[in-house]
Amino acid sequence: MPDYLLKNACVIDPVNHISQEIMDIAIVDGRIAEEPSRNAEVIDCGGMLVLPGGIDSHTHICGTKVNFGRYMSPEDMRAGRAPRGRGMRAVSGYSIPTTYGNSYRYAQMGYTTLTEGAMAPLEARHTHEEFRHTPLQDGLILTLFDGDWGVMRAIGAGDIKRAAALIAWRLTAVKGYGVKVTNPLGAEMWSWGKNVECIRKPIPFFDISPAEFITGIIEANEMLGLPHSVHLHCNNLGKPGNYTCTLGTMGLVRDLNEKRQTAHLTHVQFHSYGGSGWGDFCSKAEPVSKMVNLCPQITIDMGQVMFGRTTTMTADGPMEFNLYRLHQDKWSNHDVELETASGVIPVMYRRKNLVNSIMWAIGLELALLVENPWQCQLTTDNPNGAPFVKYPEIIGLLMSREYRDKEFATVHAGTAKRVVLPSLDREMTFDEIAVMTRAGQARALGLLERGKGHLGIGAEADIAVYPIRPDKIDPAKQYAEVIRGFGQTKYTFKGGVMISRDDEILADNQNRTFWCSPKVPKAYDMDNDPELIRTFERFYSIQKENYPVDENYYIARSMKIETETKL
Amino acid sequence: MRRITLIMRDSVDPHLPIEAEVITPETLSKTVLVNVYVGNQKMMLSDVFDIRVDGEAAGPAATEIVIIGDASRVKRVGEYMTDGRILVEGNIGMHCGDFMTGGTIEIMGDAGDWLGREMLGGKIICHGNAGNYCGSGYRGGRKGVRGGEIFVKGDVGDYCGESLFGGVVHVMGSAGLHAGVNMKGGKLTIEGDAVMPCGDMFAGECTIFGHVDDFMPTFAEVGKVVENGRELTVFTGDLAHRNGKGTLRVGSYTRI
Repeated sequence: MPDYLLKNACVIDPVNHISQEIMDIAIVDGRIAEEPSRNAEVIDCGGMLVLPGGIDSHTHICGTKVNFGRYMSPEDMRAGRAPRGRGMRAVSGYSIPTTYGNSYRYAQMGYTTLTEGAMAPLEARHTHEEFRHTPLQDGLILTLFDGDWGVMRAIGAGDIKRAAALIAWRLTAVKGYGVKVTNPLGAEMWSWGKNVECIRKPIPFFDISPAEFITGIIEANEMLGLPHSVHLHCNNLGKPGNYTCTLGTMGLVRDLNEKRQTAHLTHVQFHSYGGSGWGDFCSKAEPVSKMVNLCPQITIDMGQVMFGRTTTMTADGPMEFNLYRLHQDKWSNHDVELETASGVIPVMYRRKNLVNSIMWAIGLELALLVENPWQCQLTTDNPNGAPFVKYPEIIGLLMSREYRDKEFATVHAGTAKRVVLPSLDREMTFDEIAVMTRAGQARALGLLERGKGHLGIGAEADIAVYPIRPDKIDPAKQYAEVIRGFGQTKYTFKGGVMISRDDEILADNQNRTFWCSPKVPKAYDMDNDPELIRTFERFYSIQKENYPVDENYYIARSMKIETETKL
Repeated sequence: MRRITLIMRDSVDPHLPIEAEVITPETLSKTVLVNVYVGNQKMMLSDVFDIRVDGEAAGPAATEIVIIGDASRVKRVGEYMTDGRILVEGNIGMHCGDFMTGGTIEIMGDAGDWLGREMLGGKIICHGNAGNYCGSGYRGGRKGVRGGEIFVKGDVGDYCGESLFGGVVHVMGSAGLHAGVNMKGGKLTIEGDAVMPCGDMFAGECTIFGHVDDFMPTFAEVGKVVENGRELTVFTGDLAHRNGKGTLRVGSYTRI
C-alpha cells in the first residue's frame, strides 16, 4: 500500500478545531501520521478542500427491501447505466442502483462509511451479502427491534435488564451495529391490519404503549454501552399533524450519556407536519427544531425531500399502505415474523404538488433552524426523500439563500403561506457542512473513537479531496460551483487507499463491517434461555441454531466491537 | 438518394443473436464501417452482411436500407430511427423500430417480439405476423408507444399494445392474450379475435371486430355502435382502476 502526502490542502476538520487551514496531511499505513514516510507519493492539493471521508448515518442500500425495490421497479434499472470500465463493474439504477452503483457513486462524492438504516434480523444474511458487495465503504447495520416480541414482553413486564440481554443476543447473532426502532409497536399492530396512534395508547396482547417501549429500549441500549444511541423513527410518519407526536417522543428522552446523544431521531422532516389533513397541511419545523435546540441529548437527521422520481422503503408497513392508497401505484408490504414489517412503493415528488413542495421546504427549515449543526445531520433517508446523489444540491441550498429563493420560485404557489423557509436568512459555512456530513455523524454513531470523521493523528485515513477553493469562492453566490465540487471529488481515500480519482474508481474490496457484541454476564446470556428457545420452536419458521449469521462466511472483513455492559 | 443493400451472409453462426442498432438511416447514410455484436463478439457489419451501396445521400431522409435474407436473429434494427426508410425483404428479429421517431420500416415477412416498442413517431408496416409485445412498453415503464403508427397484416402474439399511450396500433389478424393491457391512450384496433384484452385500462380506445374470449368483469356495458358494417358492443373501464376511462368495443364476446 503506497503512503501519501497531501500538500497545501485547505483542511476543515471540526473535531480537531481546524477551519480552512492550509496544511500537509501525511498518510502512513492507512492512518494519518505526523511525519510522512520517505517514499510517500506527494499529491498537490493546492486550492482544494480536504475533509474527512463522508459518513451517511441513515441510508437504505442493502437488504431485502432494497432488493425488493429493484424487483418491482425494472424501469429504475434503465436509468443510471454505465458500462464496465477499468476495474469497475457495469452498473445501473437511479434510486435503487446495484450495490456497486451505490458504492461507486458514494465514493465519488467522498463518502467512506455507510449506515444501513434498518435490517430485519431474520433477513440479516441478505443484508450482509449485499454489504459484502458494496466494495468501497465501511458498513454499519442498524437492527430493527420495533416489533420484537421478546423485547416487548420484557419491557412490558418492567424487566429492562432482560430486554437488554435479548437485544445483546440478537445484535451478536445477526452482527448488527445498533438498535433501530421504526414506528414503535406499529409493525405488531400492522399484522392485525391496524396501526398505533401516537405514543400513549397501549396495544392489546402486550399491554405496552409506544412511550413505555421507547423509554425502555433507550434504557436497555444505554445498559449495553453501545457506541450508537437508539436510532428512532417516530410514530405517525407522514401524517398531517404528527409534529405533536414527535414533540411528545422527544420529551421522553432523558440525558443518559455524556459522550453522545441518548436518542437519534431520524428523517425528522417526515415527522414535522402540521394541519389536520392534506387540505390544511403545513410545516411545523419551527416547534420541532426549537425542541431539538432545548434537548442536547437528541440528534436528528433531515430526511430532505428533493423533487423527482424515487422509491420509498421503510419498516413502517402501515405508512406504506397509506402511501399506496394515495398514489395507486405499485406497492409491496411484507411481514417479518415476530420482528418487524416493511413496505416499498415508488413515488414521484413534484414541484407542482403542494404537499411535495411543503415537504421539500420542511427539510431545509429543520437544518437551518437547528442552531447546533452537531445536532442535525444531512441525509435524504436515501432513497425515501431522494437518492443520495442529490446531497450536493442540498448542500448548495443550505449554503446559499439566493439558490433557495430561486428554487422556491419554482415550487407550488401555495407553499409560501404554509412554510417559514422564505424568512430564513441563515447561510451555512463550509465548517457547518463538514459537521453535518461527517464529524457530527461520526460522533452520533460513536465512530470518533474508531478514528472516523476526523483527521487527527492516528485517525483512519478516510479523506475526501474536493475541487473547491473555500478561500476563493463565495458559496452564497457561487452555489453552482459548490454543487459541482461536492458532486465529485478529485480524490477519495479510504483507509489510506485511493479509491477514486476524478470519475474513475481505482480500488475494490475495501469494505469492512462494524458490528457490536455486548459482553453480558452469564446470568444474562440468552443462548440457553428457555423462553427464547420456546419462541423459536413455537413461532419461528426457522430453528434457533440456523438463526445467527456466520461471521467468517458472511462478512468480508469483520470489525467486532465488544462493549462493556452495566447488567 | 442512397440505397444500402444488406444481404445476410450464410457464414454467420445461426445460433447467435446479432445486436445491430447501427442499422438506421442516420448511421448508414454516413458510413457502413460500423460494428455489430454477434453473440459476445464485436464484428464489422460487413462480416455479417454483404453490403452494396448505391448513390450518395443528403442525410437520413434520402436513405433507404434494404435487408435481404432471413434476418430473424438481427435485433434492434431501426432503433432510434428519425427519418428515411428501411425495407426488410424477409423476417426481422426482436426490438425492431424501438424508440423510433420518424421514417418508415416495412417488413415483408414476420417480425420478432417487441416490434416498435416505446415508439414515438413514424410508421411500421409488417406484412406477416408480429411476435409478443408488439407496440408495447417495456418492463415497469408507465408509457409505452407514444406516437406513430404500427400496421400488422397478420396475427400478433400476446400483450399487443401494452401500456399504449398514444398513436395507432392496427392488427388485421388476431391477437393473443392481454392485448391493450394497461392502456393509457391511443388507438388499438384488432380486426380478428382477441383473448382477455384491456385489463387495467386507464384511457384510450380499443376496438376488436372479431370475437373476444372473456375480459375483466370490471367493464360496464354502455351501448352499441355500428362500424364498418359490423355491430359493436361498447364497454367502459377498467372500473377496477380509480379513474378508468377507457373504451372497449367488441364484435362478439363470451364472458366466463
